[in-house]
Amino acid sequence: MRLHTPRNTMTTRIFSSPLLVLATLSLAVTGLHAQEPPVDTFPGVSLGLLYEGRQLAPTIGIQPFVGDDPGGLASRAENIVARDLRYSSRFRVLDSIPASVVREQVDYALWDQINATWLVSGRIEAGSGGRSTLVLEVHDVVYREVVQTGRFPLPEPSDPDFRMAVHLASDAVVQWVFDEPGIAATRIVFARRMDDGSQDLWVVDSDGENLRRLTMERPDEDGYAINMSPAWSPDGTRVAYTSYRTGMPRIYELEVATGRVRSVPTIRGGDYITPRYHPDGERLFFAVNGGGRSGIYSYNIVRDCCFENLTEGRFEDLSPVFSPDGRQLVFNSNRLGVGTPQIYVMPAGGGQPSLISPYLFSRPGYYTSPDWSPRGNRIAYHGRVERRGVHQILVSEVGNRSRIVQLTDEGVNEDPSWAPDGRHIVFSGERGWGRGLFIVDTQTGATRTLVSGMRARFPAWSPTLTPAVVDGG
Amino acid sequence: MYRRLPVVAFLLIAVTVGACRRESPEPPPPPPPVQQTDDDEAARLEAQRIADSIAAVRAAEEAAQRQREAAAAAARAILEQRVHFDFDESRIRTDAEQVLRQKVEVLRSSPDVRLRIEGHTDERGSAEYNQALGSRRAQAILDYFLEYGLSESRFVITSFGEERPLVNRSDEEAWAQNRRAEFIITAGADQINPPGSN
Repeated sequence: MRLHTPRNTMTTRIFSSPLLVLATLSLAVTGLHAQEPPVDTFPGVSLGLLYEGRQLAPTIGIQPFVGDDPGGLASRAENIVARDLRYSSRFRVLDSIPASVVREQVDYALWDQINATWLVSGRIEAGSGGRSTLVLEVHDVVYREVVQTGRFPLPEPSDPDFRMAVHLASDAVVQWVFDEPGIAATRIVFARRMDDGSQDLWVVDSDGENLRRLTMERPDEDGYAINMSPAWSPDGTRVAYTSYRTGMPRIYELEVATGRVRSVPTIRGGDYITPRYHPDGERLFFAVNGGGRSGIYSYNIVRDCCFENLTEGRFEDLSPVFSPDGRQLVFNSNRLGVGTPQIYVMPAGGGQPSLISPYLFSRPGYYTSPDWSPRGNRIAYHGRVERRGVHQILVSEVGNRSRIVQLTDEGVNEDPSWAPDGRHIVFSGERGWGRGLFIVDTQTGATRTLVSGMRARFPAWSPTLTPAVVDGG
Repeated sequence: MYRRLPVVAFLLIAVTVGACRRESPEPPPPPPPVQQTDDDEAARLEAQRIADSIAAVRAAEEAAQRQREAAAAAARAILEQRVHFDFDESRIRTDAEQVLRQKVEVLRSSPDVRLRIEGHTDERGSAEYNQALGSRRAQAILDYFLEYGLSESRFVITSFGEERPLVNRSDEEAWAQNRRAEFIITAGADQINPPGSN
């Protein structure tokens, strides 16, 4: 990793972002009405988008990709990489330059002139059997040298994993420059409700391409085709979820490549909901509700044995999510009183839970659906804005209850899930124009639409998919 | 002419035989013709009376059957009647309690009936937390039944949260309809008796 001084000034950067202008304005408005009782906000939460330690994104140019190119492979790969780098939010991607203007040999002086700090160049090498290789180089324009080269095998362009293979190359660029994981080679699984009330799991690539249905099972005679609350295994090969296929909510696990489904048996009566994997990839944690008792249980889905009980009481403990190191657990509970679910963190081995949502005795609020950042330092969840009754996405810092940021302010927003970079969050949202899934960059507040025009719910962001997973190996 | 010969011969023989059995007792005098007519009429009337009463009994039976069926249908309707809840609440409302009280009576007189109690919520709130809220609603109803001494083994409770709305709209009226408990008869559907009949 190498540090460069950004070339653009602070002022242009800040005011080039309309969202930041909006945030500044909304802060000004909040200030003007400081005397009024804050009925429509969360207690102690900064509304608007104020970030510390924000680093300005370096610029990156893309040298038009070249190579033996019967099917326009080079330009297809180039377009995918360009968009991936933009969606990483880590670079300011310069507008593409026509190949006729740029010589095939990298001209550092030219790129330097148009303020590129970094440069990516790509070449397609044809191989046997329709397979080819994308050779990618990252150049440091300031030092006028190639800093890294990688070779990425590509399947045939008609192969459904062609795009994902290119995404792996894009993530390598982020890794080389920042030593951080990218989010290009990831997918988002979610539940999609149809007009007839049925709900199947669907999956989409993180750039919005490749939308497809994942669960196909139709229910038993007595059952209902309702699937919900999907969660990825840490290696991205399996998805655990809740299904009503027998008429009662139970936990299932789907192997993505084969479609094979396993189920968690029942240890007692009640509803089995909100499954999540432990970072060990073997144990599933979930809530069991009913019979006047509720609790968090675990089951080893790989060894197919061993129920364990973590919490139990007359209150409801739901949505258990582990910290990446597996030492702590965040969950949602109404143990303070019915109707006011709050977010708690507790040691994985059990012990006293500590409150992290902005609860006040006079304004208890309503906070649910936590997700622990893969970096371990933050927890996202959603809360109900009291008077309007709508939900917004909040982020709390672990170990610092006073640092809570509200990420959304428009429409209704629920069920946040962190990207493997610990920076982006996907959530389900409802706007004036419709519903969909949205991705917000927690550093700048910039938001993009992932899928729209469908009732998409419970999005869950996959870990970075390895080449083995992408190739279906 | 000759065809009648066997008949004539038979009559002759019969007369001869009859003459030989003089010493047998006198046959009872034939009943007077007028009285015979009266008896026929009485039998006819009697048959009519019996037929009428059978028809009446049948009609009464059918009416009673219809009444029983209607009562069973009414009892079934009571069992299956939904009850509704207030926003974010699992407390049983007064109007719901009246319905539940009637259900208790039907359940007492129909010991073979088993129910699945499903809790549902409106779409507001978190979907996963609503699952728990629906579960709490179903539990509140189960607790009510248990207070009246009904056996827990007759019930299964579950929650659909906000996943199966009754009315697919987003307004107050739809939400009020969707905040509910449903009652599914899982056994003994043909053994439903009206209240107090057992």
